[in-house]
Amino acid sequence: MELGTLIDSQRVRCGVDVTSKKRSLELLSELLTDDLDAASTRTIFEGLTLRERLGSTGLGHGVALPHSRGASIETPRAAVIRLDKPIDFDAVDKEPVDLIFALLVPESSNDEHLRILARLAEMFRDTAFCARLRACRSNTDLYGSLIEWQSQNTG
Amino acid sequence: MLDWLPPLVLIGAALVVVSVLTSLLAFRIGAPLLLFFLAIGLVAGEDGLGVIYNDWSGAYLIGSIALAIILFDAGFGTKTRYFKKAAAPAITLATLGVVLTTALVGAAAYWLFDLSWPYAFLLGAIISSTDAAAVFYLLRVGGITLRERVRATLGVESGSNDPIAIFLVTALVELISLQAGFAGFTQELLLGFALQMGLGIALGVAGGFLLVRLLNAIELEAALYPILVIAAALLLFAVTSQFGGSGFIAVYVAGLIAGNRPVPHVTALRRLQDGMTWLAQILMFLVLGLLATPSEFPAVLLPAIGLALFLMFFARPLAVGVCLLPFGFSAKEVTFIGWVGLRGAVSILLAILPFLGGLDSAQAFFNVAFIMVLTSLLVQGWTIKPVAQRLGLIVPERLGPVEKIELELPGTAHHELVVYHVMPGSPIVGGARLPRWARPALVLRDGRSMHFRKAGHLQPDDYLYIFMAPQYASALDHLFAGDSVQEAERRAFFGDFAIAPDAPIRALVDVYGATLDQHDNRTDTSTVGGYLKDRLQRPEPGDRLRLGSVELIVRAVDSRDQVTEVGLSFD
Repeated sequence: MELGTLIDSQRVRCGVDVTSKKRSLELLSELLTDDLDAASTRTIFEGLTLRERLGSTGLGHGVALPHSRGASIETPRAAVIRLDKPIDFDAVDKEPVDLIFALLVPESSNDEHLRILARLAEMFRDTAFCARLRACRSNTDLYGSLIEWQSQNTG
Repeated sequence: MLDWLPPLVLIGAALVVVSVLTSLLAFRIGAPLLLFFLAIGLVAGEDGLGVIYNDWSGAYLIGSIALAIILFDAGFGTKTRYFKKAAAPAITLATLGVVLTTALVGAAAYWLFDLSWPYAFLLGAIISSTDAAAVFYLLRVGGITLRERVRATLGVESGSNDPIAIFLVTALVELISLQAGFAGFTQELLLGFALQMGLGIALGVAGGFLLVRLLNAIELEAALYPILVIAAALLLFAVTSQFGGSGFIAVYVAGLIAGNRPVPHVTALRRLQDGMTWLAQILMFLVLGLLATPSEFPAVLLPAIGLALFLMFFARPLAVGVCLLPFGFSAKEVTFIGWVGLRGAVSILLAILPFLGGLDSAQAFFNVAFIMVLTSLLVQGWTIKPVAQRLGLIVPERLGPVEKIELELPGTAHHELVVYHVMPGSPIVGGARLPRWARPALVLRDGRSMHFRKAGHLQPDDYLYIFMAPQYASALDHLFAGDSVQEAERRAFFGDFAIAPDAPIRALVDVYGATLDQHDNRTDTSTVGGYLKDRLQRPEPGDRLRLGSVELIVRAVDSRDQVTEVGLSFD
């Protein structure tokens, strides 16, 4: 999996301030659809929220991986935010979340969608990696750390 | 007068002491402990240190009594719930499986050793049963957490197949010594089988209930209960055998019944029984080791090892595969159950029977059986854990409190008292805080209790007592867990994502394109938890259900078999 093709440096935000799960998903929807219209943003937000109803995408230890399919895009894309103040995300371990990675895939690509999700979830099992992301102080820093993981593990 | 007494006691006691002490060494190098006991017997025996022991019927007597105690204890420690879960596959393995193994190994022995058919089958029957002592020991002490159904199947199988193997061997020895043909024998064989099993089960049930009533009716000095129980088990064994039933089946069934009903002083009972079972295992293996004459082994060594390999890699896996076909085990589980076909003392014990029956070449039989058991213990006993790991069958241990006590409080303030063991390297040691809703009460440190506020920072190996509301059930678990490697393993096993058990199952189709089983029209309205319960019948942690491209994994169930936590995996 190419993390570099998934994440655009414009869709990475370090040290943002949101107060609720809903607000964080709204922000991520905006980031994911920064090149699209407001209607798409709304649809993506609804898609992410719908998925949360099936069970929180909080993976535990302060990390969440919300995801959805989107009609208006052609290739998978992701947005990442790191919060200064952790928020409640209804995660199984009830721990507040401060690292959120949102994934959006095209409507048609089912198996690819799942393959990417599986790899991302695996990536966040690495506690050292999560600690590195948490230590980042700027957007470029965070983007760099994310890309680094990919190059370390596929090289 | 009596000058033979000190040396006899000296040798006997020294052997037991050495055996017990070697357990330390065995744990360290991970070798099967029972192999050590057998080896100590061999080393002390006539080709080693020169302890001459040639009392075959004495050895058989000791072995039978030891086996009766082991089987009673095995039954006693098997929960009914556990037994029910595995009864059908395990009993198929214990009956059909034993017969199949006998036939296959018999056929191979016919070619390898150039035996006549009755003798070949006799050899097959001798090593046809898996050893309860070996299997229980390896599963219990080996630190292997298996899926409950696999574990239960192996346990129940090894407990119930000995009597059938014993019956087959006795019947074949009789057939050979009477020079009767197979044809006239079949009917008698079946009748004998029915009598042995029927009487064994009937007397076992009756004996079990009688024992429970007796224990509850009388008031004894506490220390006398275990003695009464063990003596009663042996009494039952003897009575059943006397009337032509299988005494081994009887004690197993009686143990199963007594162990699942309330009896007084059950802790004391368990403790003494544990000790007795160990002693029985040590004695049985020691005596059989002493009985053998290793200097005669080379004569049959190669074909015996060949037969053992045939058993391990062909006969047992095939028999297991056939027997488990209707029970919906995964291919990996069948492979594992096939591999845990440990032979043990029972096979060596059975190899004494041809000797007692006065058959020629009985000594060779004994030697072949002995070598086969050694090979099986060495190869299979030593590799069980790696094999289970390789097959991905080890269920990571769940995190969680060591104890949970439900409190009945007045009003609606539902609270539980949970006890956590603080692991080294856990977040709580690193300074993580307890959430506000958790009410820590007491810290146990080095065996002393102290107030939470006065205990300062929690330290590894502290025990923390916390009052909390049940709805936060597992929310604290991660705070006390150590080792992030285990955590990653757990996630890999139970799925990264959690799915709410009360979410509609249709949502999985909408979000992930999962494919559901369409026969059931209730599917449209059922919840994820309900769907899992329907499809898996008795779900247990670690059960997986593939729905097209996604897989649901049961993470936890409650006491009424309802699924309470579900994981989702895409691999």
